[in-house]
Amino acid sequence: MPKVGTYRANSVIYFQGDQGDRIFVLQRGKVSLNYNDIETGKLIREIIQTGEFFGVKSALGRYPREENAVVLEDANVLAFTVPEFEAFSMSNTRIIIKMLKVFSNQLRHIHKQVENLMENPTAVNAEIGLYKTGEYYLRSRMYSQARYVLGRYLTYYPAGKMAEQAGRYLETAEAALARYGDGKGPAPLAGSQPASPASPPPGFSAENGFSAPPPPAARASEGASLSDVAKDYYNAVSLFSQEKYQEAFKSLKAIADSSDDSEYTDKAQFDMGRCLFALGQWDLAIKHFTGIVQSSPKHADMSDILYIMGQSWEKKGDKAKAKAFFSKVLSMPGDEDSSARIKAKKALNALGGA
Amino acid sequence: MADLAGFGRFARTYQPGEIIFSEYEPGDSFYLIQAGRVRITKIVGDIEKNIDILSAPEIFGEMAILEGAPRSATAISLETVKVLEFNRANFEILMIGNPQIALRLLKVFTKRIYDQKRRFMILTLDDPQAKIADVFLMLDETQGSMNQGEESGDRREFKVTVDDVAHWAGMNTAEVQTLLGHFSNQRRVELYADRIVVKNINDFIRFVNSKRKK
Repeated sequence: MPKVGTYRANSVIYFQGDQGDRIFVLQRGKVSLNYNDIETGKLIREIIQTGEFFGVKSALGRYPREENAVVLEDANVLAFTVPEFEAFSMSNTRIIIKMLKVFSNQLRHIHKQVENLMENPTAVNAEIGLYKTGEYYLRSRMYSQARYVLGRYLTYYPAGKMAEQAGRYLETAEAALARYGDGKGPAPLAGSQPASPASPPPGFSAENGFSAPPPPAARASEGASLSDVAKDYYNAVSLFSQEKYQEAFKSLKAIADSSDDSEYTDKAQFDMGRCLFALGQWDLAIKHFTGIVQSSPKHADMSDILYIMGQSWEKKGDKAKAKAFFSKVLSMPGDEDSSARIKAKKALNALGGA
Repeated sequence: MADLAGFGRFARTYQPGEIIFSEYEPGDSFYLIQAGRVRITKIVGDIEKNIDILSAPEIFGEMAILEGAPRSATAISLETVKVLEFNRANFEILMIGNPQIALRLLKVFTKRIYDQKRRFMILTLDDPQAKIADVFLMLDETQGSMNQGEESGDRREFKVTVDDVAHWAGMNTAEVQTLLGHFSNQRRVELYADRIVVKNINDFIRFVNSKRKK
């Protein structure tokens, strides 16, 4: 049975660094969790509400406490051991669901913070990573695995840097699978160079009897689960990541003009502005984004829009306007640690503060 | 065992050797194994490394809770595998009425949050050398058991490459190579093709602590 503990004001329920296997619920009084922010070192005080659980993650995950649990006003605290908590949770699913939501939000939040500090955004490398994974399986004569991965590559990056090559590999994998079966037959990529955007087509020779591969576009539809507009959109984003901004702009405009799917027209509108910015068209970028701000004030990417507008003004040499836009980003409701906020904060500091 | 009747619409079957998802693929589903074993692998350099073999009732692919994040590993069925496939939108349906699964997922998230926080601590260091040192501290905390034998003292051996360290430190490989070279000149580390030895882990702990914002 969980036990009730009574704590005096100013006492400490647990210290940061303690190993603890208790999960607590505050029944009465006032408790604060104190810890230093990882990024800034600033002391954070998180006040626990009555009825709220604390100490859950470190107890369940068996890692040291991450904060000092300080009693501010005389408190009654219910303490569960982990097995007691598990037994309790079996008949209180709703509490677990609530915690799951809190934890999944925390996970998303911390993951975003990590991503923001990474030098190479993973999205850029994911395309090549997926291609190389397919290539690895083909080289290892794991044809069905190669077929899956290369098929996925062509679904997600139909106009990607490696699309043509991936189309050929896919053809090779399918032919080898049909002819020899998984793990059998001559090594299809023996001696071929490791993949690079400039590498020549794989050396499968004429005597294997493979005919010329079909154009990658024909393959792209295979195993596709994305809608056409989604495919068009990712196609355009892929052009953008290849720095083909003009082409990307054209494709995005076609989506923005013709699709009924507001999710993708909104995204396309936003990315059109990013293209203009990337092309150094500051005035056009500002005009374009102003249009979005007016027509869809609730746009999902509003913080990013305002940030790029600030950047455009900064590029034009208008520091006052730039600052105004960066400050606007910081005043937007929503995620405290969105990358737009972090970037806007940095930009503002670089301009000498708000 | 959890009551999973009525979840037929989430059920998927994979044949032996079939890929459930591939490393780097964007993913929005996560999986609860009902039968069969699943191999979790990653291609590192030119080798397919087995990271884990999972069986019922384990959960995998849970990082799909993050929108649009690419998969960090490949999941391949080792034999005929039966799973329930869920996503951000519908996982609550499964969890309600299946507290055992909810509790298991809660523990998985707990561990992931801790791992990510630890990574974040590395990335928030300003000093690039301190970042690299902290990578080794993190590895020491999580895989401490790899260093068998009491006599190892402060010496720690890590089966990692420069690329691995660069990945964890969020830096480019060339810079990490240079800085590890400095550490090596100072005789604080030894560099080998397949491993890196830290001569005195406490020296690294002091070094990192001195660089952390208080």
